[in-house]
Amino acid sequence: MNTLTVKDLCKTYIINKRQNNVLKNINMEIREGEMVAVMGPSGSGKSTLLYTISGMDHLTAGRVDFFGKDISALSAAQMSSLRLNEMGFIFQQMYMLKNLTVYDNIILPAYQAKSGKSKEQRKEINDRAKELMHKLGISEIAEHDINEVSGGQLQRACICRSLINNPKMIFADEPTGALNQQNSKEVMKELNRINAEGTTIMLVTHDMKVAAKSDRVLYIEDGSIKGEYTFGKYKGQEENREREKKLSVWLMEMGF
Amino acid sequence: MFLRILKKDLKRKRTMNVILLLFIILAAMFLASSVDNLIAVNGAIDHFMKISKVPDSLVVALTDGVTDEIADFLQENEWVSEYEVIDGFNLLNEDVTITSCQAEPGKSGYERTNTLCIEKIPDDFVKVFTTEDSPLTLKPTEIAFPKVEADNNNLQVGDIVSIRVGEVEQEFRIAAIVKDAVFGSSMMGFKRLLVTEEDYARYAGQEGLVHIGIYNVNYVDKEKFQSEWKKQNFTVISAIDGKDTIRLCYIMDMLIAAILIVVSVCLILLAFLVLRFTIVFTLQEDYKEIGIMKAIGLRDAGIKGLYLTKYFAISVAGAMIGLVCSLPFGRAILKRAIVNIVVEQNGQNFVINIVCAVAVVGIVLLFCYLSTNKLKKISALEAIRSGSDGERYKAKSHFKLWKRSRMRPSLYLAVNDILSSLKRFGILFVTFCLGMMLILLPLSAANTLKSDGIISEFSLSPSDVYLDTGRGETYTVDMDNLFRDMEEIENVLSEKGMRAQTGADMGYMLPCYADDPENTVTYYVLQAEGSWERHYSVLAGREPELANEVMITELTAEELGVGIGDTIYFKTAEQAEEYIITGTYQSMMNMGQGYRVSRSAKMDPAYAAGILCMQVEIEGMESEEACEQLESIFPDYRIMDAKGFLDNMIGGIIEQIDTLTYFIVATVLIINGLITVLLMKTIMTKERGDIALLKSLGFTDGTLKNWQTARVMLILAVSVVAGTVLSNLLAPYIVGPIFAIMGGTSIKLVTGTVEVYVIYPLLLLMVTGLTALLCAGGVKKVDLKEVNDIE
Repeated sequence: MNTLTVKDLCKTYIINKRQNNVLKNINMEIREGEMVAVMGPSGSGKSTLLYTISGMDHLTAGRVDFFGKDISALSAAQMSSLRLNEMGFIFQQMYMLKNLTVYDNIILPAYQAKSGKSKEQRKEINDRAKELMHKLGISEIAEHDINEVSGGQLQRACICRSLINNPKMIFADEPTGALNQQNSKEVMKELNRINAEGTTIMLVTHDMKVAAKSDRVLYIEDGSIKGEYTFGKYKGQEENREREKKLSVWLMEMGF
Repeated sequence: MFLRILKKDLKRKRTMNVILLLFIILAAMFLASSVDNLIAVNGAIDHFMKISKVPDSLVVALTDGVTDEIADFLQENEWVSEYEVIDGFNLLNEDVTITSCQAEPGKSGYERTNTLCIEKIPDDFVKVFTTEDSPLTLKPTEIAFPKVEADNNNLQVGDIVSIRVGEVEQEFRIAAIVKDAVFGSSMMGFKRLLVTEEDYARYAGQEGLVHIGIYNVNYVDKEKFQSEWKKQNFTVISAIDGKDTIRLCYIMDMLIAAILIVVSVCLILLAFLVLRFTIVFTLQEDYKEIGIMKAIGLRDAGIKGLYLTKYFAISVAGAMIGLVCSLPFGRAILKRAIVNIVVEQNGQNFVINIVCAVAVVGIVLLFCYLSTNKLKKISALEAIRSGSDGERYKAKSHFKLWKRSRMRPSLYLAVNDILSSLKRFGILFVTFCLGMMLILLPLSAANTLKSDGIISEFSLSPSDVYLDTGRGETYTVDMDNLFRDMEEIENVLSEKGMRAQTGADMGYMLPCYADDPENTVTYYVLQAEGSWERHYSVLAGREPELANEVMITELTAEELGVGIGDTIYFKTAEQAEEYIITGTYQSMMNMGQGYRVSRSAKMDPAYAAGILCMQVEIEGMESEEACEQLESIFPDYRIMDAKGFLDNMIGGIIEQIDTLTYFIVATVLIINGLITVLLMKTIMTKERGDIALLKSLGFTDGTLKNWQTARVMLILAVSVVAGTVLSNLLAPYIVGPIFAIMGGTSIKLVTGTVEVYVIYPLLLLMVTGLTALLCAGGVKKVDLKEVNDIE
């Protein structure tokens, strides 16, 4: 089953009384468990595509189905519920609420999702948060304020937050864009692991190394998908070089 | 370049700049109007007496309209610099008929509040003014009423009254309600209706009528004049000696003025808080940009100049608008508060407003200068990294969600935000807290005056019925009239099967001294009369029982330098009577000055000055029933319960405080609403990124609205509690002294009522909560993509 189906998606902005077609007739599908990377030059519409199909921005025309449900037909409250329970978001900047600890930032969506929580549910949330933090190697920063941790740790905390409600799909906008090489590697390792566990991921990136670790790469230019390259599942570090090489060649063909 | 940056800044940060402008307008408006009001109220009575031309001494006496020995004495006395005699006629209730009353159609009966007379408009001494503070002018067939009389009979401008003096009856249209410096005060037991000279002449032309003469006297030497005056033994209704006595009559108005001063001080405090908050907040918003400017090489002085210019432009615009708004705002407050006094409103006041507006500009620039000064100490990178906070990150979260797991996330976020940014939300707390205090302090004054026990503080013993026969003037002329009236009331009630006792407290005006016979003070000496045996409250010692015993107020004791056990002397023309002090008491009559002698004390009726009222106690009957019974039995008498009597005596001051309280409540609600809107908008502008992040995480608009509203509501709830506690704690120090000025040195304030603990807190919570909720609706407008605006 497709997690996401996009048909004839158009997105237009009106700037200075002039229409700007940012996305033009986008058609694409993302299958359940797939990890898709979107690449393209700056201003090509990558992030707009991500925000539009995730329901964070309104589409001008076309249709986006999330597990067969047309998200443009959903009310604001239904869309919020969908984002809360079935989608996870990771941003380039490690956006978190400054007044909360790392741990509270992570569990906040879960507490919101399970309003009127029972004692068992609260325990479940805390167990899940601890488990996620343990898996991502950030257990020790749980009670820290967000200014007290490194960028890599913070991005991993953001990943934990995005996973806290067991989403069916994660949207990531340049998740490694603000990280150094080492942190970037660690974050991608986690995303691959999450994907291997069954969570569908769509990510936008400029980084070939990041894109090479996904199952499929979409190349977008001037608001249209110019091509796609399918790798298949990423199996581990040993095939990194080969995947990057192939992707590099393909991207050159695309004019990147 | 400089101007281009400024222009761009003003345009791009429109919301923050508009908010800053609004806050400056508020600050300028509060500051200018409050300082102006403070000055106006402070000198109000002196100003009123000056423009009214209040004389040094004022005597009211009965004449036959032909011979006038007092006028002859004044004419001959070398110590009199100028004098004027105003002729008038005494009016009883039956002399005035209401022929048209807009408020109560069909009403005809008139009830005077006290001794009432009709006169022509005064043109030299004790001039009167309209409610609009302009000198009174009337056309023929027009009449002017003092506010107390008009209110008492529910009359207003446009109503028609018919007035009979002797055989002449004329109909008048009420053309004005007047402020009368001497006779307008609620404490003054003499009121006058004013008509044109022409209309008055029709009454005056009759022969054989008893006239009332008002003698306004200015003297060259007070002591010498008084010494000669006392030798004359004229029979007078009342003699008001000196402006100080008249000033005392306005004590109730000054109570209102004092409340107004408290309001003004609070508004000024609020203005400074608002200014500081806005400037610090808006500058913090700009730290990042300031850092960038530093990074590209702009000098500190240049950056500072840029911001000073920007703030100068905004503050000048704001202060000018605030200055314009301060005039109607200040006048509205003043008009509500001071209804009996002509308050000075001239060019000088406007200069004060301008000075305040300029001060606001200065304060804005000073705050801006001090805030930008900090930039010198930090590097460009630090400023940029500091982002919107303008400071290094510090651990902020002390309130853990997982420890408060039963809390809804919206409520948790609200509590956590408040605890993390106490300074930021402090302004809301202070505003709400001050607002609550502004409401509760005058309320405490009003509730105290409304309380059951307050009658004891007016030198009286509480009774079922307070009665005015309308013949008070005759009692001082011959006290037997009083005894006869009391006996008659008892007899009539007895015939109706009611066992009643009557009483009255006769006041005598007698000079008193302690050690030095030359050093006298003259205050009322009260003596209980009538069959009703009653007791009076004492602060120390006991009531006088023997003929030579006296109880004295604490203030008089202080003035005379005496205490319990000491001896004082009351002087009459013939001799000085010796009295031993047995106790002290407090009284809010006559500014807390006075004495009470025992029933057996031998007082000279020649010095009788009047009674406050007659009191009736009916066996086995509650006050309400007793009043109803007496109203039906004595339709010509004015029957009052304790509240009615107090209202009558202190001239609707309670109503005035109530009106002022309602006005303050409305002002506080508006200010609370305004500050809430501005603060929420300010904070929301800064939090757009956070709101977008929470939206992206799946928080609904409703939850986010709850979060934003909960912060305000939580602060409001805490402020209401703090305001109530502070009001209760501070009331004895703020409201207490006001009563102390009136003589209530140990008044127990009444603070705990349903209004204090339920109605007003609920009203504040509802109105401010609704404002916050409407304002929180702004979260809907935040686009999810603004998550990228998080700094």
